[in-house]
Amino acid sequence: MKCEPKVMKYFSTIHTSFAINFVFSNNITILIGLSAAGKTAAFSFIRECMAINPQIVCLNYLDYQKDIKEMLTQMKNKMIVIDNADILLDDETRKFISLDENNQYLIIGRNPKNLFTTKDNLFELVSNKNEDVTEFWIQPYL
Amino acid sequence: MITIYKDKNDISDDMEYVELNDIFFNQKTILELDNCAKEIIEKVDGSKLLSKYKIMSKFNEVALDIDCLSTGCKTILNVLYFPNKVFCMKECGDNAIELLYSLKNGNIYSDYAMIPFDMPAVRVANNSKYHIINDYEELKEWWENEM
Repeated sequence: MKCEPKVMKYFSTIHTSFAINFVFSNNITILIGLSAAGKTAAFSFIRECMAINPQIVCLNYLDYQKDIKEMLTQMKNKMIVIDNADILLDDETRKFISLDENNQYLIIGRNPKNLFTTKDNLFELVSNKNEDVTEFWIQPYL
Repeated sequence: MITIYKDKNDISDDMEYVELNDIFFNQKTILELDNCAKEIIEKVDGSKLLSKYKIMSKFNEVALDIDCLSTGCKTILNVLYFPNKVFCMKECGDNAIELLYSLKNGNIYSDYAMIPFDMPAVRVANNSKYHIINDYEELKEWWENEM
């Protein structure tokens, strides 16, 4: 599904020796890839930005007991970043996300079921170490 | 040989199912780790086990708490050290799945297919009965069919 990002086209932050530079081309970005690529590390750096950027909302396994779908229905104009999505999102929540016109999503997980996505939505995390700084960015998943 | 469940109803009452691999590892598996964990951590995460609770990050070579291991690596270690429980495998990347399948013993669950290309024989659970599959296509068919 090709749909322009509704909240942000770029996101960048720095966390000590790590830099994040994400460019979003779609309203739903699914971040997949190998274990230990740094996805959860990147999530933690984005989560830190929740304190200074009210547009960012981060959810992960710590929210396992919450009604995620109900939470999402209350949100507007948010960049919602979801780690551990494969265990956190049930089918109903996935359908809601696929039709949500109020928010943008970065979903860290490997199962695109019920998100009505295509390869345009699939990205992988790439990192490169330049001197002491490790930079993370996303690229289309082949 | 690993045992795979695709339906939670096939998991017997005396076997606990664990979905949150991160928490289980941080609370339980951490107490069981021995030298076997070292090789798995290096293979999957590219990190070095420095001591019982510390790893060296592959990104910036600083010492991190072992809770920073990937969920995929934690899942493998959970399965390895607790072969009497069933663990969700949905958060494993391809590199972790390959190693997960190579374990001599243990139980994993997913309701959709997650198969390494080069797979060894596995035991699958079906309506509380078990049989062995050693072919990729056959395993995929088992997962996708209502059997």
